[in-house]
Amino acid sequence: MWKKKLNSLTPLSSNLRRSKAPIPPPYTTATEFTSKQILSSSPKFKTQENYSFSFNSSSSKRLFKTPRLHLGLPNLNSNLFCSVSSSPAAISHCWNCNAVASGTAPFLACQSCRSVQPLDPSIDYFQILGVEKKYDIKVETLEGKYKDWQKKLHPDLVHTKSKKERGYAAEQSARVSDAYRTLTDPLSRAMYLLKLEGVEVDEEERISDPELLVEIMEIREAVEEAADTQVLNHIQAQIQKQLEHWSESFADAFCSRKYEEAISSIQRMTYYKRANEEIVKKL
Amino acid sequence: MAAEPAYTVASDSETTGEEKSSSPLPEIAIGIDIGTSQCSIAVWNGSQVEIMRNTRNQKLMRSFVTFKNEIPTGGVSNQLAHEYEMLTGSTIFNMKRLIGRLDTDPVVHASKNLPFLVQTLNIGVRPFIAALVNNMWRSTTPEEVLAIFLIELRVLAEVHLKRHVSNAVLTIPVSFSRFQLSRIERACAMAGLHVLRLMPEPTAVALLYAQQQQQTVHENLGSGSEKNALIFNMGAGYCDAALTATAGGVSQIKALAGMTLGGEDMLQNMMHYLLPEMDNLFSRHGIEEIKKIGLLRVATQDAIHKLSFQSSVQIDVDLGNGTKICKVLDREEFEVVNQKVFEKCEFLTRQCLQDAKVEIEDVNDIILVGGCSYIPKIKNILMSICKRGELYSEINPLEAAVRGAALEGAVASGINDPFGNLDLLTIQATPLSIGIRADGNSFVPIVQRNTTMPARRELIFTTLHDNQTEALIIVYEGDEKVVEKNHLLGYFKITGIPPAPKGVPEINVCMDIDASNVLRVFAGVIMPGTQHPVTPFMEVRMPTVDDGHGWCAEALHRTFGSTLDLITVKKKVQ
Ligand SMILES: [Zn+2]
Repeated sequence: MWKKKLNSLTPLSSNLRRSKAPIPPPYTTATEFTSKQILSSSPKFKTQENYSFSFNSSSSKRLFKTPRLHLGLPNLNSNLFCSVSSSPAAISHCWNCNAVASGTAPFLACQSCRSVQPLDPSIDYFQILGVEKKYDIKVETLEGKYKDWQKKLHPDLVHTKSKKERGYAAEQSARVSDAYRTLTDPLSRAMYLLKLEGVEVDEEERISDPELLVEIMEIREAVEEAADTQVLNHIQAQIQKQLEHWSESFADAFCSRKYEEAISSIQRMTYYKRANEEIVKKL
Repeated sequence: MAAEPAYTVASDSETTGEEKSSSPLPEIAIGIDIGTSQCSIAVWNGSQVEIMRNTRNQKLMRSFVTFKNEIPTGGVSNQLAHEYEMLTGSTIFNMKRLIGRLDTDPVVHASKNLPFLVQTLNIGVRPFIAALVNNMWRSTTPEEVLAIFLIELRVLAEVHLKRHVSNAVLTIPVSFSRFQLSRIERACAMAGLHVLRLMPEPTAVALLYAQQQQQTVHENLGSGSEKNALIFNMGAGYCDAALTATAGGVSQIKALAGMTLGGEDMLQNMMHYLLPEMDNLFSRHGIEEIKKIGLLRVATQDAIHKLSFQSSVQIDVDLGNGTKICKVLDREEFEVVNQKVFEKCEFLTRQCLQDAKVEIEDVNDIILVGGCSYIPKIKNILMSICKRGELYSEINPLEAAVRGAALEGAVASGINDPFGNLDLLTIQATPLSIGIRADGNSFVPIVQRNTTMPARRELIFTTLHDNQTEALIIVYEGDEKVVEKNHLLGYFKITGIPPAPKGVPEINVCMDIDASNVLRVFAGVIMPGTQHPVTPFMEVRMPTVDDGHGWCAEALHRTFGSTLDLITVKKKVQ
């Protein structure tokens, strides 16, 4: 399959380096508390408009593995995964006109007066973009919903509104962007699903399966030594197949709540995705 | 000497995109397209975008300022008796190519054979620019020239609208650094204009396209599925490409790419081709030389223009002292001489498509705008890359940017249109990566280019030396691997890192771009096993550099070497 040549065992790229930090506990109300403490000790941060940290594969890692790094900075997403829910049974009212939220869509903006509402972290990305909470979603439908929200929430459109509402718009709009970015990408969507189930993924964890390790090195060498785009395209097609395979196996594992298997699928998807990126760079 | 200029310079903090408090009757911001060679101004008149005309009934006005009399006059109000008048040394133009650039910049050097004075010392300070007034070189700055010009535009708008005008949306090239943007903002402040938005030119075109698509949907009562458009904009000074995904009046910018490349480069190439010894001939910059270069410039410009519509052209110009150029120039010759320019256009377009991750087959429309859009070769390049036989024809290539800017001005001013014609939004992306110097002399991006704005990203770094107690955070913008090739935005020092072996302290650098496109850089130290930052985090609004910043990086390097260096903890995955 890959070019068989293993005599020069070059170290894997720095992408594969083991993370040195011990895995910290997931977010708890305790860390939430400390972050507040720090916020109060630096009042400067309170006044400024904040945007939540993105949830893509690179920064999500930051977010979950080393939460303390965020402590100096306001981070709206930090309470996202704390299961702090604002009792969904309670009826929401518009802060501006007091209209009652319609139950049909997430209450991010008021239907009556169009005011942007404060961020409600209990609404997950799937709810925001109006899709079922599962792995196999129709990605094509996300863009339209995403743009619909941005037309109601984007900070550019509330330029003339109060400072308070501009703050809400900044938060809500950033959250919708994160939702869109997270759910469009299969890998980050998979990780987000596990996260919602309270499962932490260490995508940087070194793979122990020697067979996979050998395969990855072979891919790397094959890519490095590829003579022309035809060869690269061929390798890419094979990687694409692998990605699809592990994507399916994630879906199966997740459905049957086999989280260990799901994590292992995610790690493999991560490797193939990176290999693919290297090919794209060379193409 | 000259009269006091009729403006005051506002403080730095007033020159940025800080929003004003809400007023009961929102003033509709005007749209301004400041081109390297031409400019225009437009406004939402309540039902549509209207381009304002000057007293000579022109929609497109030449971008120049003449320092002939006591009060300098610009191309909005000034009537030139003849094209040559612009080339006598007393007129400054091409300020968009000069603004915010250092005297080490090749673009500044290429401007030295313009018929006014551009002097460089090659030490990383701003170039010396002067106009010839009564046989004396009177110094000015690109910001001042631009401000004089903007005042004329503002007055034109005020006469037209019969009201005070203060808010404006301006279009800017994609390749402009944040330092250059700050110079544009300063010029606006000098002219009494508050900048509501600085919009990359192709994104203004994208907004106009989004409105047109929205109207089409309304007329056909269609569902309005998403449409991808590739926008290529090339003027006299700059060239940009953008890919926009449009649906329901929302234009999402998927990718931007730009470079300093335009009609001016083709003009210079052709002038050198016609008169190879040009640079030597004009290096003295005397009045005679200025006259000669002016004659050559006009003749060449005229020829290039004609070659867009005919296959060959006769050039006949007498530069005096026996220097005569008499030649038939054909279109192929022009294309060969400018081959590099066209190759760069192709590269830029491909890069944009690749960054957007959009397949050529999925591009619905190809929109070509700007002064160079009439050049057949450019059309051919675009059509061949996109494997298409025709380009989008519903947009006037010379008015697209200013119309888009006026739409954005109305939208950002909170204006509603009962027919939904302002039901629009642009979701912008960062045109350049922003990062810091680390891992030796490398540029490590923190916010990647084409990140949706507003955005916040962070990366962890660590110390290079044992017991390193301080670290320099040097912020750059650009996409070059070697750090100096990017634009320096600012720098600050983190102090109080507890003594520890190298690689242990975690230095968190976070960058935040808010809805007004203001960049803030946060940095602080956290020791493993602790939960609190060691010292308060630093928050620095960038850019902090001022003119002469070419010196700064050099001075920092000389003073500190690698003693305060950082390295990345982890490579970014994406
Ligand atoms: Zn309401």
